[in-house]
Amino acid sequence: MKNLLASLSLLLILFACSSEEEPEEFSEDQFDRKVMLTHWADNIIVPAYQQYNKELATLNAATQAFIQKPEMTELSTLRAAWLEAYKAWQWVSMFEIGKAEEVNLRNYTNIYPADTSAIGENIRAQNFKLELPSKYDEQGFPALDYLLYGLREDDEQIITVYQNSESHREYLSKVVERLQTLSGEVLEHWTDSYQDTFVDASGSSASSSVNKLINDYLFYYERMLRAGKVGIPAGVFSGSPLPHTVEGRYAKDISKVLLLEALNATQSFFNGQAFSGDAKGESLSTYLDYLNSIKDEEDLSANINSQFNSAREAIESLNQDFADQIINDNSAFLSAYDELQKVVILMKVDMFQALNIRVDYVDADGD
Amino acid sequence: MSTRNLLLALFSSALFTLVSCAEDEDNSPSVNAPASYTFERNGQSTVSFSGQTTRIKMATELVNALGNFDAATKSTLLEMYRNETPEGGDANPYQEAALNDSDKSVRSKVAASRDLFFTNTTEGTDIKNQFELWIESQVDEVFPNEEVLAKPGTAGQIADGSSTRYVSAKGLEYNQLVNKGLIGALMTDQMLNNYLSEAVLDENVNRELNESASVEEGQNYTTMEHKWDEAYGYAYGTAADPSNPNSTLSDNDIFLSKYIARVESDADFTGIADEIYDAFKLGRAAIVEHNYELRDEQANIIRKKVSEVIGIRAVYYLQQAKLKLEQDTPDYGSIFHDLSEAYGFIYSLQFTRQPNSNVPYHSGAEVNEFIEKLMNEGANGLWNVSPQTLEELSEAIASPFEFTVAEAASND
Repeated sequence: MKNLLASLSLLLILFACSSEEEPEEFSEDQFDRKVMLTHWADNIIVPAYQQYNKELATLNAATQAFIQKPEMTELSTLRAAWLEAYKAWQWVSMFEIGKAEEVNLRNYTNIYPADTSAIGENIRAQNFKLELPSKYDEQGFPALDYLLYGLREDDEQIITVYQNSESHREYLSKVVERLQTLSGEVLEHWTDSYQDTFVDASGSSASSSVNKLINDYLFYYERMLRAGKVGIPAGVFSGSPLPHTVEGRYAKDISKVLLLEALNATQSFFNGQAFSGDAKGESLSTYLDYLNSIKDEEDLSANINSQFNSAREAIESLNQDFADQIINDNSAFLSAYDELQKVVILMKVDMFQALNIRVDYVDADGD
Repeated sequence: MSTRNLLLALFSSALFTLVSCAEDEDNSPSVNAPASYTFERNGQSTVSFSGQTTRIKMATELVNALGNFDAATKSTLLEMYRNETPEGGDANPYQEAALNDSDKSVRSKVAASRDLFFTNTTEGTDIKNQFELWIESQVDEVFPNEEVLAKPGTAGQIADGSSTRYVSAKGLEYNQLVNKGLIGALMTDQMLNNYLSEAVLDENVNRELNESASVEEGQNYTTMEHKWDEAYGYAYGTAADPSNPNSTLSDNDIFLSKYIARVESDADFTGIADEIYDAFKLGRAAIVEHNYELRDEQANIIRKKVSEVIGIRAVYYLQQAKLKLEQDTPDYGSIFHDLSEAYGFIYSLQFTRQPNSNVPYHSGAEVNEFIEKLMNEGANGLWNVSPQTLEELSEAIASPFEFTVAEAASND
């Protein structure tokens, strides 16, 4: 891990130095960033949040139905709704900007593994203060994963818990409600005013929308997708594998589904694929084509796409349940990690350099 | 004079200059620093700083316990600071048994240097008590609000990315004030203003004893050697290999050593870690060779460089906070964390020492003005501070030092 961090930070330093040498004016190009931002906001980000909100409404309805009648049919419906909402989340998580950034949306939605003993304690003490940052890992999708699949050995026992415990029903309900509240706030902010603010900041300074969102996007890909979903459970940062840290640990067979959703979402965004339908618009890919970036005598955008595809192929050969995969054949899992990592290099070094955008995050001070 | 003669004449005078330089140096015996901080007499080590190691460990336990909401109480925390009960009896507050057996304490060496506090115990006592106030405030204000979201005027927790910070009603993390404040009040003050002080090194008949190699009773070192080692111990006393501490610099402790490492990693200051370490080695070798002039030169290098570490980190955290405050969506948790660290380093400035002088880079009175300015822009302390104030503070703090605000502002 030290070596990896060291080489990453070396890359950062090299990159930081080289961009310092090139004054900002140098980067001024004629690409219409405003058109791209409009397409991103109108056809990708807002529709993705709308879909996510819709799935959360369905999840909430299924939750209330289960609470009213804690039976197997209702539990199955609830679990299915949870999975659909969890998949929809993979399409918005990368857009941690504006209100989402302000309310720490991702931290309250998907920090895993969940702290199950703290959740148990919250339920016992009827402590529902989910707005506290110290309770990131006691709520969101990972908490629901535990509450819907991990609470007891089998489904019958889980159902019995909900039949007998008002506290459990209430906690379940509060966790879903909070997801809905936060995502509702973020969507409302986008449609109320932020859509315009976002598009209007179309310059090329560090605080412009393109520079900020691309940094958020890369940060998401590097830390949440590559490291969170694969690298950490694979043991890349710890020396030994940590299968209990996979996403969807208790549902067991969804970690691959979620990773593929996330990968598709990030690649679609790269290509400016509209959220609904087949339409495409201005994107990182067309921006790179415009700048005519060449690597290995090929377009950088084509290189990035082909690397995304290699990563997808590697992932598709894995088990549905990553914990199972890690325990039985971690080397195949590590190969998938390597393919994902190659995308980081193409984007963080080559793409950022081509776009003349500076990476605005570094490894934390650690104190 | 022909050209040839002219050249010859020039050459001779050059030669003469060279010779005379060499002669100057010959006036004092040459002193060579060893490769590592290792000194022996009769085949046995003469280096000892166990008291410093003990105090660094006590301070570490204290700082960690300040964040232990479940187990720490005001009385256990104060006992960790004083290593005695309120009645002055023996206390055993530490995890590590050896620390409980020790009769040393953190408090007794806070603001207790010969040069700054020997005849100024009033101020020294105020400073000792200031740390107790921070400790008590953590328990009185922050602990009860563990499960409350902080807002202006209300203590509680606040998000800093994926971490959670616990702050006072004014946005201060008291554990950071204690941690970073001790770097000045304990480590730096003892090092620069006490053990490297001529008043301490040359006290009484220390020079005579050093020259006759008269070791302390039951020990293998002369008093002067030991004093110098005690200064060394406040920087490197908990290193895995204390004779070669720079290989593990950032992991040695959470105090001076860690922040020497931080400054070292800034390209503007690379080399500072070796400068400090080398000066310690050469100064100690000079004591063995009875070369007190050389010893004091090294002490002045250490004073300058260690003081810079504190000044640079104070400015660094102010500038980091300023950058974050200027964002569209200021991350207050992260800003408060930076400013709490800055607060501690600013507090520590009063224990720095300008070389060849008896004064710190900023006096206690100046430090109080800085803190006043930082905390009192509005009724709610750090919630109200402006980027402009952070800039002005940075400039004022950097002004007596040789580094610039820009050099200190970033880690690259």
